[in-house]
Amino acid sequence: MTSLLRAELLKLRTTRTFVALVGVTLALSLLVVVLSTLLSNAFAPGDAQDLFSADFTGLFIMLLGVIGMAGEWRHRTITGTVLAAPDRLRLMTAKMLAYAAAGVVLSLIVTVTIMLVGTIILSSRDFDTVAFSDLLDVLWRNLLVAALVGALGVGIGALVRNQVVAIIGVLILGFVVEPALFGLAPDVAKYGPTQGAPAGIQDIQFFGDEGTDTLAPGVATLVMLGWIALFFAAAGVRLRSRDLV
Amino acid sequence: MAPVEVRDLSKRFGSVLAVSNLSFDIQAGRVTGFLGPNGAGKSTTLRALLGLVRPTAGTATFGGKRYEELDRPSTKVGAVLEDASFHPGRTARNHLRVLAVTGEHPFDRVDTVLADVGLTEAADRRVGGYSMGMRQRLGIAAALLGDPEVLILDEPTNGLDPPGIVWMRDLLRAQSAHGRAVLVSSHLLAEVAQSVDDVVVVSRGELRGHGTLESVLGGDEGLVTAVRAQDNTRLARALEAAGHRVQPSGGALLVPGVSPEEVGVVAGDAGVYLAALAPQTRSLEQAFLALTGDATAP
Repeated sequence: MTSLLRAELLKLRTTRTFVALVGVTLALSLLVVVLSTLLSNAFAPGDAQDLFSADFTGLFIMLLGVIGMAGEWRHRTITGTVLAAPDRLRLMTAKMLAYAAAGVVLSLIVTVTIMLVGTIILSSRDFDTVAFSDLLDVLWRNLLVAALVGALGVGIGALVRNQVVAIIGVLILGFVVEPALFGLAPDVAKYGPTQGAPAGIQDIQFFGDEGTDTLAPGVATLVMLGWIALFFAAAGVRLRSRDLV
Repeated sequence: MAPVEVRDLSKRFGSVLAVSNLSFDIQAGRVTGFLGPNGAGKSTTLRALLGLVRPTAGTATFGGKRYEELDRPSTKVGAVLEDASFHPGRTARNHLRVLAVTGEHPFDRVDTVLADVGLTEAADRRVGGYSMGMRQRLGIAAALLGDPEVLILDEPTNGLDPPGIVWMRDLLRAQSAHGRAVLVSSHLLAEVAQSVDDVVVVSRGELRGHGTLESVLGGDEGLVTAVRAQDNTRLARALEAAGHRVQPSGGALLVPGVSPEEVGVVAGDAGVYLAALAPQTRSLEQAFLALTGDATAP
């Protein structure tokens, strides 16, 4: 498993996709933080804490996992990959762990950067900054979400296989279906894999009214693990049973 | 135990029986041509060997083990499949490094195999800019990375220019001289005939011949006797009873590897009157076409 994991991490490092996604995620997250902290007239520490949590990392990490796995079919490299690692379930496990690790790295870079820049701007405008302990609290929650959505992205990519369909599906789920559910059925929406459960881990209110609580972090983590297990099982059955012709 | 054993292998895709009850072995130190027209079941058989498709019946093993059961399979089997693809954004060197990490091979093997296939200069270029020939060479480098005992190549000359084909032939000979068992599939007999020791001929998923090139297809321009009798069916039975192979051809019978005199003796012993008896020569291609029964094959 170690060699498979190392190989998957090497794959990630040897194409431009990972670097490009880090750049785009960082740029977008910085844009939001800079504009919010510069243009707002009043900024409480709680607002800044939410701002540091609500970055674009989760979505992009999920897309990274989708691209990494579905790309094996898009580039028709899946045959060579399975020849090198014939145990298809171990292969998928290694890929999930690799993209979980990649998610943690990406989230670490983005979260720390926006925290630094946001804190500098808030200080320069004489607003209260977020306490260091609270920053650490945001950081571990972000890293946990990043790891989970990275693995989930691999599961989605392995099940759907068609890279374009999988990417569009994740975007629709994240930007249309789950936000709509937060308005229509918040008690269902909080279990969602792209927004609902991650919001529970990060302890933030993304959508919906003030009266709707997100899941407790522990429960939300279990829900995310459940989503990962569901996609792993479904994709695993499909991957093992299907011929590679 | 042979390095590669295929036993009673069948594979059905829906209503299509792609491979039917196929059995053959290949031996170490020899190049075996896996020949047949397009759609004969060659690629399906190779994919069943490599654990990529699940056989409907039968087994395909390496030293008695299925591919999935091999410990560090890249040290036992190297394969280049027809649709071998690479991530276009990754360099050749990095592609091989990924495989080296997966197979637990040292990184210096990457430089060695790159040199073996003549890609050292282009090793740090992205594969998206490679020609077909360079991709084939990279696929072979990947297959050789683990210094495997068995080398499997599916239609390796597809898309190669004449110098590339010559290079491929030399490579096949060099690999078998190294003691490896080499199995190379092709629908173009002419491209592999100079390189192979043994052949496995398939058509419509069924085995049509297996043995040395000479025994299955006859030597190039080999002896064939054409004979027409009053009763071709009786003559064919008599010739087969005498241990000869008989192929119907129009209104005549072709008897490869047997002189007209021998055919005449068999016919006389069987009491069959002959209308015509003449020696013929035929090329490997003609023998191949007769064996596969595929008039459209080149």
